[in-house]
Amino acid sequence: MKLSRRSSLSLLGAITLVLASILVFLYVKSSSEQSTTYTQSRDLIRHIKQLNAQWDSEVLKARIALTHNYDPLVAPLNEMNSLWAELEARESLHQHTDPGNWQAVQNNYREAVQEKARLVDQFKSHNALLRNSLAFLPTAEDDIQAQFGLLDANKRLQLQNIATDTYDLLLSSLEFALVTSDDKAAEILVGLNKLTINKELLPEDFQAPVEILSKHIALILREQPLVNGVLERIAAIPLPEQLDDLTNQLNQDQRVADLSDQKYHRYLLVFSTLLMLVLVYLAIRLLRSFAEINRVNRALQTANEGLEQRVEERTRELRDAQSELLDSARQAGMAEIATNVLHNVGNVLNSVNVSADLVTRKLRASKALGLGKAMQMINEHPHDLGAFLMEDEKGKLLPGYLNQLVDAIAVEQQGMAEELAQLTKSVDHIKDIVSTQQSYAGASKLLEPVHISAMVEDALRMNSGALSRHHVTVVKDYHPVPEVMADKHRLLLILVNLISNAKYAMSNLSDRPRQITLTVRALDDDTLQISVKDEGEGIPAENMTRIFTHGFTTRKEGHGFGLHSCALAAIEMNGRLTAHSDGPGQGALFTLYIPLERAEN
Amino acid sequence: MSNTPLRYPSAPVISLVSGVWLGSCAVFAAPLDEPLKPLPATPVLDASRVELGRRLFNETRLSINNTLSCASCHHLDKGGADDKPFSLGFDGKPVALNTPTVFNASLNFKQFWSARVDTLEAQIQQVVTSPAEMGNDWKTVVATLAAAPEYQRAFSLAYPDGVTAANVQNALATYERTLITPNSRFDQYLLGNTDVLSYDEKQGYLRFKEYGCIACHQGVNIGGNMYQKFGVIKDYFEARGNPIEADLGRYLVTLDEDDRHVFKVPSLRNVAVTAPYFHDSSAKTLEEAVDVMFEYQLGRTPSADDKTRITLFLKTLTGEWEGKPL
Repeated sequence: MKLSRRSSLSLLGAITLVLASILVFLYVKSSSEQSTTYTQSRDLIRHIKQLNAQWDSEVLKARIALTHNYDPLVAPLNEMNSLWAELEARESLHQHTDPGNWQAVQNNYREAVQEKARLVDQFKSHNALLRNSLAFLPTAEDDIQAQFGLLDANKRLQLQNIATDTYDLLLSSLEFALVTSDDKAAEILVGLNKLTINKELLPEDFQAPVEILSKHIALILREQPLVNGVLERIAAIPLPEQLDDLTNQLNQDQRVADLSDQKYHRYLLVFSTLLMLVLVYLAIRLLRSFAEINRVNRALQTANEGLEQRVEERTRELRDAQSELLDSARQAGMAEIATNVLHNVGNVLNSVNVSADLVTRKLRASKALGLGKAMQMINEHPHDLGAFLMEDEKGKLLPGYLNQLVDAIAVEQQGMAEELAQLTKSVDHIKDIVSTQQSYAGASKLLEPVHISAMVEDALRMNSGALSRHHVTVVKDYHPVPEVMADKHRLLLILVNLISNAKYAMSNLSDRPRQITLTVRALDDDTLQISVKDEGEGIPAENMTRIFTHGFTTRKEGHGFGLHSCALAAIEMNGRLTAHSDGPGQGALFTLYIPLERAEN
Repeated sequence: MSNTPLRYPSAPVISLVSGVWLGSCAVFAAPLDEPLKPLPATPVLDASRVELGRRLFNETRLSINNTLSCASCHHLDKGGADDKPFSLGFDGKPVALNTPTVFNASLNFKQFWSARVDTLEAQIQQVVTSPAEMGNDWKTVVATLAAAPEYQRAFSLAYPDGVTAANVQNALATYERTLITPNSRFDQYLLGNTDVLSYDEKQGYLRFKEYGCIACHQGVNIGGNMYQKFGVIKDYFEARGNPIEADLGRYLVTLDEDDRHVFKVPSLRNVAVTAPYFHDSSAKTLEEAVDVMFEYQLGRTPSADDKTRITLFLKTLTGEWEGKPL
């Protein structure tokens, strides 16, 4: 029963666990975390795309020399890379429908970014040079024109076409920077060659500025197509498209994830409905069992009330029985006392009988009959009485006989008087016993002043016949105690019983003197202790607990009533009775404790 | 109406006007919008990592024979670089290139003269294992540091996984990111305190822009954000002679002919205290370096005055480290 209960408990636990795990599993599976994840990843990609656009715009700004600071061309890449690293760190959160494709798209992006970074670096280097030279061209031109300005008018006129050529070259170069074409390049090249030839014609002071100008124009000629080419290649990098591909892939993945989410949502719904049904079922069951419990409870209550009634009845019955028992105990006690009294009376009657018998026998064999015979002889000789007394053989003996008879009758009378005195004494004893008994009869609960030692003496006296018959020595250890208020009747009942029991306990004793020790003393200010100790057969430990129970006895002729009634009586007197024995053959000690209530004098 | 006193404001008026102008300037102190940008504030990073990085920076056990630490070549009291043309490797032999400064290195877009790595961590990784520099390997470095109780404790405090090669590099890089030299006079000028520069220094900056130095040396680090060919206008290496492998620059990285003699444009911050100059340490003084730049990069011939002013301007780029000027 217990085992099955435990196993059913663990089964219930297991089912709960399984249901909870299913619920958690479905919840996790159907949670919208996934779509948030995809949204966040898409945000990252969108951010990268923005940075890419920013990067492009910075490139264009540098291209048109709006800014000379190239830091903004470095920063977007760093940010894009850190965002990309973030995206890659999120990779574990994604589930891809086509991991191969995702990998490919990612690789495309990585390669594209790398390529773009390389091209932007190239662009920076070349654009910096190109913009510098372009910016310098007018100044370089001015330097040459300034040299022209220094010439005298004649010389200046001579070199006018050279100045114009130089100016044209400058314009062509600036034009080339805007519209880069092979024609323009060829034109500039021609111009440069012309300038080299012209340089020879120019004075010494012109050499350095022209040299510088031509170097810078050559640089422009070299760098401008490079810059343009790099820009074209940068523009050709399909970075936004690749980012869009990533986004699309994520969208698709999210759709799939959402579908699975929805699926799990449905599962969750179904499962929840099932759980709900189970809950409803359980609730109904619970309500039912609750009602059942209520019903049983009510029935129990009713039964309980009946039971209480019955208990009360039984208690009353028990109380009645107890009082009956008490009555019978009391009667039994009285009977015991009566038995004792009668026994004692019987004993004394015996001696009365003996005395009466003796007197009767003495009377029957009285010498007084001899007096009659002597008188008969005297009467036969009414006339010659003197002679008869003097001469007759028989007559001569008569005075002596009469004298002897007088002596004998006197002795006889003394003996009978003594015997009658004994008889009277015995009758007095009987009277005494009866009057003692009469003084205890009546069974009142009345408390009266009692001399405990006198009380014990009375009890002893009531047992005196039996005690002397059994040759029991009584040791009296009476400590001085005050006169107390006590129930004489019950006290006597207890003591007579205890003394009687002690006497019986020693009836089979032959190896040592039979001795009862009676002790009376005040235990403390409130308790009086009276103990009866014998040297008898003792009480085995197993009997110790039931020695006071009703019907327990070790004697063949015993009715198991004495100690029980004693104990009851002790309790009625607000005292208690205890027994102690060191074991079989070790004697027993019964002690009565009663409240010490001093009698008011 | 034609008398002089009426045509020109009196001296008190000028001083009043200029006073008002200066006052308003001091009040607003608006940052200037220039192609050169002031340094950002020193970043506040994980203190335990910074401190660990500082110790590692001075740790000679990073080199295979316990002779070199980072600080052996990057003297923080010598502009974060070496005053020798070429620092000596663990074996006592000079390395191939001049040591760039560690100050503000975190603001360079890439590291090394050839800009061959993107991060400080990678830079550290290469220097420690370079057979010409520290000549060590990471297994040994990690074993050595893990055996030292003080490092073990410091690493476990700063990193959950204790002593690893990546953590050594990160700690060093973290420390180096704090090696920023703010508050140079030029930065003060950029931040609006235009009085801090003298007239000649301001003129120097103007020339710096006009002559086109600005084309490459711009941004927050005044350089360090692009590559450039050494010898744009004229072949520098032919003129110098004795070509060595390191002269090839990025070509050694990309093997692209276009990258021959291309280097990362170095930062000009603290340039006055980081002589000698260029990857080959060929310029002993700032003036020499400026000359080389004009001749081979700009293809311009500046006046002596302009050169002096530009040099004066370059000297305003020296910042402060731990509150003291470098």
